[in-house]
Amino acid sequence: MSIKVEVIEGGIPHNNILMSGLLGTLVCLYLTYLNVLTNTEMFAFFGGLAAIIALVWGSHTIKVLCSYGIGTGVPSAGMIAFGSGVIAMLLATRFGILAPIVALVLAAVIGFILGYISNNILNMKIPAMVQALTEMAIVGALSLMGFAALITGGFTFAGLTEGTITMLGMTVSSNQISFIGGGLIAVAFLLGAIAIQHPFNATLGPGWKQDRMLMLTAECGFLSMIVAAVMSFALISAGSAIISLLVAILGWAYTYNQYICMSKRDAASWLDAKPIPDMEGH
Amino acid sequence: MSAVAAKPQAGGAMNPTAMAVGVVMLLIILAICWYISPGAGLMALIGITVGGVLIGFGTHFVPVGGAPAAMGQAPGIATGVAMLAAGAGLAGLFGGAWAAEQGLVVATVTGGVGGGLMMAITCMMVNFVYVFGMGIPSASGKVAKDPITGDTQAEFKSQGTEGHGLPFISFVGGVIGGFLGGAGGTLIYLQLLNLYEATLPALMQVPAAQVMPIAVAAAGMFAVGLFLVNAVLTAYNITGTIEGPHDPKFKRWPRAIVASAVASAMCGLVAILIVVPM
Repeated sequence: MSIKVEVIEGGIPHNNILMSGLLGTLVCLYLTYLNVLTNTEMFAFFGGLAAIIALVWGSHTIKVLCSYGIGTGVPSAGMIAFGSGVIAMLLATRFGILAPIVALVLAAVIGFILGYISNNILNMKIPAMVQALTEMAIVGALSLMGFAALITGGFTFAGLTEGTITMLGMTVSSNQISFIGGGLIAVAFLLGAIAIQHPFNATLGPGWKQDRMLMLTAECGFLSMIVAAVMSFALISAGSAIISLLVAILGWAYTYNQYICMSKRDAASWLDAKPIPDMEGH
Repeated sequence: MSAVAAKPQAGGAMNPTAMAVGVVMLLIILAICWYISPGAGLMALIGITVGGVLIGFGTHFVPVGGAPAAMGQAPGIATGVAMLAAGAGLAGLFGGAWAAEQGLVVATVTGGVGGGLMMAITCMMVNFVYVFGMGIPSASGKVAKDPITGDTQAEFKSQGTEGHGLPFISFVGGVIGGFLGGAGGTLIYLQLLNLYEATLPALMQVPAAQVMPIAVAAAGMFAVGLFLVNAVLTAYNITGTIEGPHDPKFKRWPRAIVASAVASAMCGLVAILIVVPM
């Protein structure tokens, strides 16, 4: 039996974050379906928001899991989240409009079995393990699906594997210019994995504050969304991609500002040091 | 118990009931695969499972030091299991993917050589940094004599540490681990690639040449996902750090074999389901 190293003091209870994270992610994912209804690609940015909500929830799950000294480092939790999530997400994309729900169920099953394996077969015996790995797999699957929706404007298998290429004025359909065929999925995978594992790794310790960690997650999420929005120029119309990029940049600027304010709030003291001091008499 | 003393206490004990449940789960997954896709699907799943087990077993050989190694207080490479295993496996995967058209054996061995080479280079450069940068000799804290060279370790070990640097046995373990991991990752990739190349054109109703990027990317992504799952499960098994094949923690490998087999079979089944017509 492992000893719990840190306790959560104050702040929002984990179950509230879980429920609001899950609902928020699903709602935002389905809002990208407005693209199909209105026959535009303007609503792709909701995919990025879905990914960020899922990441915020996931980083708190990592906090719950890694509060028990699991001895493998925080990043490994982010890696297993996306490793199991990508498997569930790829299969779920075949189910059309049901894809987010199928991804949720499938990832929950995979995560539950992985949790059972870790807790019983590998004898970890950590109380939060099964629930945490289940949540992590869901977070991995849904945030990847969010990035997919952000980059391609949809989350169906056909949308992720088919693209068009314009050659000599002719538009030819091509599987190479697509989310999966072009390998963009690998970039989205690591953008998400870095954003989910960094916040708790960076803020853990005696001075850990919940709102500061969650704000850092949102900041990392928007940073990843900027990169994903730039990639989306390849697959969706420029106007829609610019909307995504603006949302990402504005969100990042706001959350980064907030995070700096919170860091100053929690710091014992701080000095606004300049990289190159102004020397007098030169 | 204080937070500092609280260490994971998973220990080396086996849980026979859970192991039995794991084997039954493996058989059930194989049976489901045989039911939905006998022949090509089942063969691919068996290959994936073997690849996953190779990754899980191979990771036990890799000398993982973690944060203590970065401070010169424990032997091994100064990073986590997941990073090292992923590094070795992906290096192997890239090597093996180039040789994918030369047949299963050549490609798998190429992947293994790629992974082993990556670990050999890492181990050598790590030792350069330890010896010439930090000024510490290589010494194991777990054994009195190096099992291969027979060199005694105790007189080189600083007091208060668990050893430091990368002793010869750890170096050899790292190369073996990289070889097994790279071969396992490549095996998973090849099985999925062959399956997707054969089934995706009919499923997506496009020519075989068109579907190639999808098959390669999907197989590669599944291989990466499976690799990370297996690497992290193994990391949980050895709870963080291990010196190499001479470490007492190495004896926990049967648990990792069962865990990797079940996890790979389950994830592999999902990867095969993607090409089963609905």
